[in-house]
Amino acid sequence: MRPPTPVTPPPRAAALEPLLERRIVFVGGKGGVGKTTIAAALAVAAADRGRRCLVVSTDPAHSLGDVFDRAVGDTETLLADRLWGLEIDPDAAAGRHITAVKAQMKRLVHPRMYAEVDRQLELARLAPGTVEAALLERVAELMVQAGGRFDLVIFDTAPTGHTLRLLSLPEIMATWVEGLLRHRERSSRLASVLARLGRRPADLGEQSPSDDRPPHEDEARAAALTEMLAARQRKFRRARELLLDREATAFVLVLNPDKLSILESQKTLQSLGRVHVPVAALVVNRVLPEGAGGAFLEARRRQEGAYLIEIEEAFAPFPRVSLPLWPEDVRGLSALGRLGRYLSEATG
Amino acid sequence: MSLRERLRRVSELATEFYVAPYRGVIARAHRDQDDLFMLFVFSELMGVPNPATYYMLELQPMLLERFHEWHVRMGMEHSPLDGFRCC
Repeated sequence: MRPPTPVTPPPRAAALEPLLERRIVFVGGKGGVGKTTIAAALAVAAADRGRRCLVVSTDPAHSLGDVFDRAVGDTETLLADRLWGLEIDPDAAAGRHITAVKAQMKRLVHPRMYAEVDRQLELARLAPGTVEAALLERVAELMVQAGGRFDLVIFDTAPTGHTLRLLSLPEIMATWVEGLLRHRERSSRLASVLARLGRRPADLGEQSPSDDRPPHEDEARAAALTEMLAARQRKFRRARELLLDREATAFVLVLNPDKLSILESQKTLQSLGRVHVPVAALVVNRVLPEGAGGAFLEARRRQEGAYLIEIEEAFAPFPRVSLPLWPEDVRGLSALGRLGRYLSEATG
Repeated sequence: MSLRERLRRVSELATEFYVAPYRGVIARAHRDQDDLFMLFVFSELMGVPNPATYYMLELQPMLLERFHEWHVRMGMEHSPLDGFRCC
């Protein structure tokens, strides 16, 4: 099938070809603009070029499976040669994390407290922020694996608001953990001064249970706490570094030629600028093709023409690619393959 | 007790006399520091929002033993949490 020619001849090869050479690509935009389809088509194109590619949906309302026309779940699913899909289930990830903490707590408390531990941690599972934190954890892990197990990891992100939050989290978390690590440092400095002076339980004017513990046990525990925090810190830092690394990571913003989409994309670009995440390209999706018949479509196209000019002007500094509206849904591997080739064809 | 032993004992007592108050101050500073850390780790349980609650969970088991002394020292006779009874 030869795709119909869009209104503006797009500089598409120049914009999208280098994307497939990156390690990490985020595909973002307003809800319903076609993020999942673009992410999937890019993934198929990358796999066709011999790159081991994982396409990951972070939207709680997953549609990756729908686009590939087959089930994709919370485990990496082989979709084609060198192509895997994954729909992150943050609830399941949070559940696993909390189960692990529970098991560790139960090793340390009296069996009569087991029920309390269960109750407390079940509350934590429902706490606001838990799902978000679990999602960030998975995304950060996958980002670090890009370039290792996979040559390229493409994230099909949730609508813009969620994604901006997700991208700003590594910095917030890194700052928070850094603060805690400073407290640990101060504590261990004081502990070593105390050790030199010879610690006595009476120093605190009270006899408390922890004073009965040998000091080396306290030290081991303090070191383990600090190491756990430091491991978190390293993960967040690495994710943050990768996000800001233009060579490794690209953010692709998808929009439609309509007013709301343009306005939201402008806000998104500003917000991404504030968190210093570089945008590699814009995909203008669902442009009415030239020659689509009827007075109604003609009128629509005239209006779209004005928006396309507005897009040209508003997003001048960013490489842009236009994709036409297709007569049929883009669904299944072969349709995605055609779209992928269209996106990455060498001649524009 | 030989003279040497006596001298050693006197020297120990003298050291203790000068060092003990200083040591008390440091010990309290150390405890305050650790109490503050406890507050960060358990803050959400006390209604103080914490952006990293989820990541603090894994630290809680290691601090559980100190939880009781801590909440008592913070002026709460019983555990501040219904779901976290330790006394």
